[in-house]
Amino acid sequence: MHEMGIAIEIYRTCRDTVAEHGGGRLRQVRIAVGELAAVEPDLLVFGWEAVVADTPDQGAALTVDFCRADQRCPACNQAKDRSEGSWLRICPDCGTPLEVRGGDELDVIEVSFETDEEGCP
Amino acid sequence: MKNQIVSIRRRALAASEEHAHALRERFAGSGTLVPNLISSPGSGKTTLLEATVRRFAGRYRISVIEGDVATERDADRIRALGVPAHQVLTGGACHLDARQIDGALSVADLMPADILFIENVGNLICPTTYDLGEDFKVALLSVTEGDDKPFKYPAIFSRAEVTVVTKADLLPYVPFDLEAVRGYVASLNPGGTLLVVSSTTGEGVDEWCELLASRLEDKRRP
Ligand SMILES: Nc1nc2c(ncn2[C@@H]2O[C@H](COP(=O)(O)OP(=O)(O)OP(=O)(O)O)[C@@H](O)[C@H]2O)c(=O)[nH]1
Ligand SMILES: [Mg+2]
Ligand SMILES: [Zn+2]
Repeated sequence: MHEMGIAIEIYRTCRDTVAEHGGGRLRQVRIAVGELAAVEPDLLVFGWEAVVADTPDQGAALTVDFCRADQRCPACNQAKDRSEGSWLRICPDCGTPLEVRGGDELDVIEVSFETDEEGCP
Repeated sequence: MKNQIVSIRRRALAASEEHAHALRERFAGSGTLVPNLISSPGSGKTTLLEATVRRFAGRYRISVIEGDVATERDADRIRALGVPAHQVLTGGACHLDARQIDGALSVADLMPADILFIENVGNLICPTTYDLGEDFKVALLSVTEGDDKPFKYPAIFSRAEVTVVTKADLLPYVPFDLEAVRGYVASLNPGGTLLVVSSTTGEGVDEWCELLASRLEDKRRP
């Protein structure tokens, strides 16, 4: 389950972000995961819970925005849907290789936390 | 206590990817070609490397980083051929990370090299996500694993520039639809290359070595 390793990396990135903003306790983290990123959102959340358990950030929630890839056929000159569960990168209508944009996101987009000190800027 | 929300857009693997980026610059500077070999356990990665090292003896300076959960066996097999090899023991982790490549380069005498092979931990899923500063990923698929692997593990086959079907000498003995695999891999990865090799008989090993030589030449072209 490689989502565990990725959860650890996400946690590092979040801790770095909090440290850059004065330190504190994580409340909620929002990430974007693309459909081509080879990452299972449910397993990632499961891994995250294990990573934050027994840390001061225990209970911090991970929310996943799942992002679809944008596929275009240059021959038909239109957007094409991927059939459910299929990774084929050819146009279902004419067989031309599709241009794929996005879908490989694995980004931390929002970090919410409680600062340690009262009233600090 | 004060709540604060910070909006960022930062790759989740940012820390690891910075290492990969630095490695890629370093390999560009030294003109070293770095293929990252990925497959299930036992698909023939080390055996193909042994065959490759023999072919390139006296022509290129080769070194190898071996990733395994445990044991120095694979690195020992490469060293037995007189080529520097370093074994990274991941202690349970199912993939190599750019930091470990950094670490290997600092503790072992692997550079300068014309080609630095990285043999990833035997696993078709996890190594797919991690950039090691390589020039390209190579997915190996042995004919005894079954022809459905690209369907089951599409991510690696869509990202590997090169797919190598290994143990081709066993094709007569196992059901393996080579043309179906060829077609499917081509659709996952229209710009990729598929080679069919047998390290045992030597079939296809010349094409594999030619591909490496031409990629190295491309990389060094000013
Ligand atoms: N028949 C045949 N057997 C092969 C070939 N290449 C490798 N083998 C055998 O397959 C087995 C595994 O080969 P390795 O090269 O150790 O595989 P690997 O991918 O490095 O394995 P791990 O590092 O453990 O993931 C060995 O018993 C090899 O002798 C081949 O071309 N033909
Ligand atoms: Mg091996
Ligand atoms: Zn089309």
